[in-house]
Amino acid sequence: MIMKWVQVDTQRAYEQIREKIITLQLVPGAMINEQQLAEAIDMGASPVREALKLLAHDDLVSITSRHGLYVADINIPDLEQLSEMRLSLESLCARLAAQRADADDVAVLDALRQEQAAVSPEDSRRLLDLDHKFHQALVAAAKNKYMARTLEHFFGLSKRLWYMALPYLDFLPRAVAEHIDLVTAIKKKDAAGAEQIMHGHVKGFYDSVRKVLETQV
Amino acid sequence: MKRKLDTSNNSHTALVLGIDTGGTYTDGMLMEYHSRRVLATHKSITTKRDLSIGIESVIEGIHIENPAAIEMVSISTTLATNAIAEGKGKRVALLLIGYDPDLISSFKMESSFATPHYYYFAGGHDLYGREKQPLDLQAILAQVNTIKHAVDAIAVSSYFSPLNPEHENRLYKVLAGVCDLPVVLGHQLSTKLGSVERATTAALNASLLAVLQDFVIAVRRAMEGRRIDAPLMVVRGDGTLMSDEFATQTPVETIHSGPAASAIGGRFLSRLDDALVVDIGGTTTDFALIQDGQVAVSEEGATVDGYKTAVKAANLFSIALGGDSQISIDHEGRLTIGPERVVPLAYLAHQYPQVRDRLKTLSKRSRSHATPDRLEYWFVLREPRDYSLLETNREKALIDLLSVGPRPVPEILKTLDLLHVAQIGAENLLRREIIGKAGLTPTDLMHIEERYVSWDAEAASLAFDIFCRFQFKEQTELRRQVWSRITEAIVHAIITFLSGKTLPLSASPADNNIGRWFFYNSLYAIHPQLETRFRLRQPIIGIGAPAGIILKDVAAKLHTDLILPEHHQVANAVGAVAGSVMVSEEILVYPRMSAEGLEAIGYYVQTSDGRLTFEAIDDALDHARTLSNERALGAALRSGADNPQVVIEEQSDGLDTYRVQARAMGNPRLGGKE
Repeated sequence: MIMKWVQVDTQRAYEQIREKIITLQLVPGAMINEQQLAEAIDMGASPVREALKLLAHDDLVSITSRHGLYVADINIPDLEQLSEMRLSLESLCARLAAQRADADDVAVLDALRQEQAAVSPEDSRRLLDLDHKFHQALVAAAKNKYMARTLEHFFGLSKRLWYMALPYLDFLPRAVAEHIDLVTAIKKKDAAGAEQIMHGHVKGFYDSVRKVLETQV
Repeated sequence: MKRKLDTSNNSHTALVLGIDTGGTYTDGMLMEYHSRRVLATHKSITTKRDLSIGIESVIEGIHIENPAAIEMVSISTTLATNAIAEGKGKRVALLLIGYDPDLISSFKMESSFATPHYYYFAGGHDLYGREKQPLDLQAILAQVNTIKHAVDAIAVSSYFSPLNPEHENRLYKVLAGVCDLPVVLGHQLSTKLGSVERATTAALNASLLAVLQDFVIAVRRAMEGRRIDAPLMVVRGDGTLMSDEFATQTPVETIHSGPAASAIGGRFLSRLDDALVVDIGGTTTDFALIQDGQVAVSEEGATVDGYKTAVKAANLFSIALGGDSQISIDHEGRLTIGPERVVPLAYLAHQYPQVRDRLKTLSKRSRSHATPDRLEYWFVLREPRDYSLLETNREKALIDLLSVGPRPVPEILKTLDLLHVAQIGAENLLRREIIGKAGLTPTDLMHIEERYVSWDAEAASLAFDIFCRFQFKEQTELRRQVWSRITEAIVHAIITFLSGKTLPLSASPADNNIGRWFFYNSLYAIHPQLETRFRLRQPIIGIGAPAGIILKDVAAKLHTDLILPEHHQVANAVGAVAGSVMVSEEILVYPRMSAEGLEAIGYYVQTSDGRLTFEAIDDALDHARTLSNERALGAALRSGADNPQVVIEEQSDGLDTYRVQARAMGNPRLGGKE
């Protein structure tokens, strides 16, 4: 979300509510009471209202004219649509990154990969954060601002899925291994290789989440 | 302390609310912008640990008929200055790129960076913007990885980054990729070439980001609580205004904004274009100069708490003497006023009526029982939220004792079974404003003389009575001494400020020093033959509630006029709305050297985000003018200026290097609509 000229209080409300939605403290599908939410994060009513509008833009909040505000629900059809987009876009992203990454991009990817390897597998929150940064770094390396904006939108939605799947899954070590392969491919400027690894990486993630969602529903 | 002045409304009013948070008081003032009419004022006590408390109470307390009609709120604040002085800024890692550690240490400059976490890395550019060394990203990333969980923000300053910010910009992208900390770049805050000041400015700015954000959010929340929907402005250290958005990005620019606002307010109310502004507050007295209708700005960057920055600020001078300075007699029987600020006894008795009764009893006792430390009261300012924060049992005992009500020091000692005040060990509690000190102050004397009556004049009178009896002083004589000592200190400060020369007054006036002799002879006409005098050519504009009382004599000694404009008591708050919205954009033009570095083969036009190449200097300067003009104009509009006008100045920095500065200024756009 690019919010350079959004009021500072709106920005803070946005970040805090977004965090609550992504980490499932605000349950998918739950109704939102603006006033209670404002009290919970110790902010005024109008920045909270503005923040909710921005979150509706992010597809993390749904606004219906009849029933008011809800935390966006998570369902299988939604998941399929999201995974279709991420699969094709992120594969392209990995291809472009392999072609266009400069030394600074590689340094960031390397640093993230090393940090990820050093984090304990139990520290899932930090691993999730590093995974997110890794994907963002690839987007930066691909050097396409429209793709960056679109993927940033999808990352926000995917992050919430990951939180949901987290207690049931053990794909983190595998994800770390795939990241290492990706960095290697990008260093070798192997566009086809990078694309293929990324495709498998994203597909693996969605397959796992789908299983969780199907058993839960 | 509410005063309703005039609330008659005409149909074309534009209401603006100005707020100044000083060290002692937070002042608010409601004004009709076009007619400059002050409609209401309000004064609250400043809570230093959280300045937004005083602001909230001003916004809640000031008389406003229709809050929805307010079209701008503007604030000057000591927040940045306080946070730095009290070490309340956030933890910052400072990355120094291309700096020479040996050079820094040979000048003993390590302590000037305003953070203990500074690190040197290879990189940086030279005087012609050429890469001095490649940027050592591996080392930086390794370092950042080890410290990123121990700091709250990162500041980056690269050698000669105003000429070529490439390394800073690259680092920004890289750091944003590996951590979520806010990153401040030196070249965005200063285009001056001084590398140490730029690093210090970046580090201070980084440490203040969250502090100012919290503040702006608290103020906006208080505004919303009163249904005030208007743009919020913050005063810079040079008295100009910036939008709250800009302020949260460049909080370091708010350093000294309080005194600057006072000076602007003094000028605005008096309509004088050349004058000396003297602002008498509770804790300090501040001096600033108005020249050609503008607050005189210091050529050097602002210094705060000993840190030298590259921030432009008003040329200010300040002494630790104000209405609430403690009056005491030292061991050698000399009268001292300040530097410590205490709560006036008149105010303490107003808050706690039992204090007056105690003073009454005391005034009837014989001299041996009434010592002057009986006048020094301690009291609880706020209950500690958590008793575990109290470090010692004695601190706990003291809080328990004072929670019942204020107690004079001898009683505290007796109850805690101690002999000397130093044994109490209360410095920590005083510093953290858990307890406070009250004592005899000039404000009390003003109550006695009925020149300023807000609180308990009888308590002040009783206290002064006890004070004089112990000191074997006659009351009128001691009062005269206090006032003349204050006059002397302020005259001395004015002379020091304007002349830039120093003259210690500690020694006896009868010594051989001709400077001191001249000073005292000019004030007191001591010599039978020689008459000397200081004469200030410009009038003095007095600001602050006690200004009328204290500055009359000062003006007389300097043979000038004292101007006390109407509402001078809240000129600081007036100044918060009286400034112009200003945005400045600087572009550097410097030679592009041939590969051997022997001759210039063209010129670079360097902006914060790009560099263009020109063959001829004239084309380069033309382009720099156009570009700086466009950028300043756009930023001023975004920052809330109404019809901003741009002034472009060019300055040569030597070595064929030019600084093109565009300053876009305009009145604040009321109501926030373009």
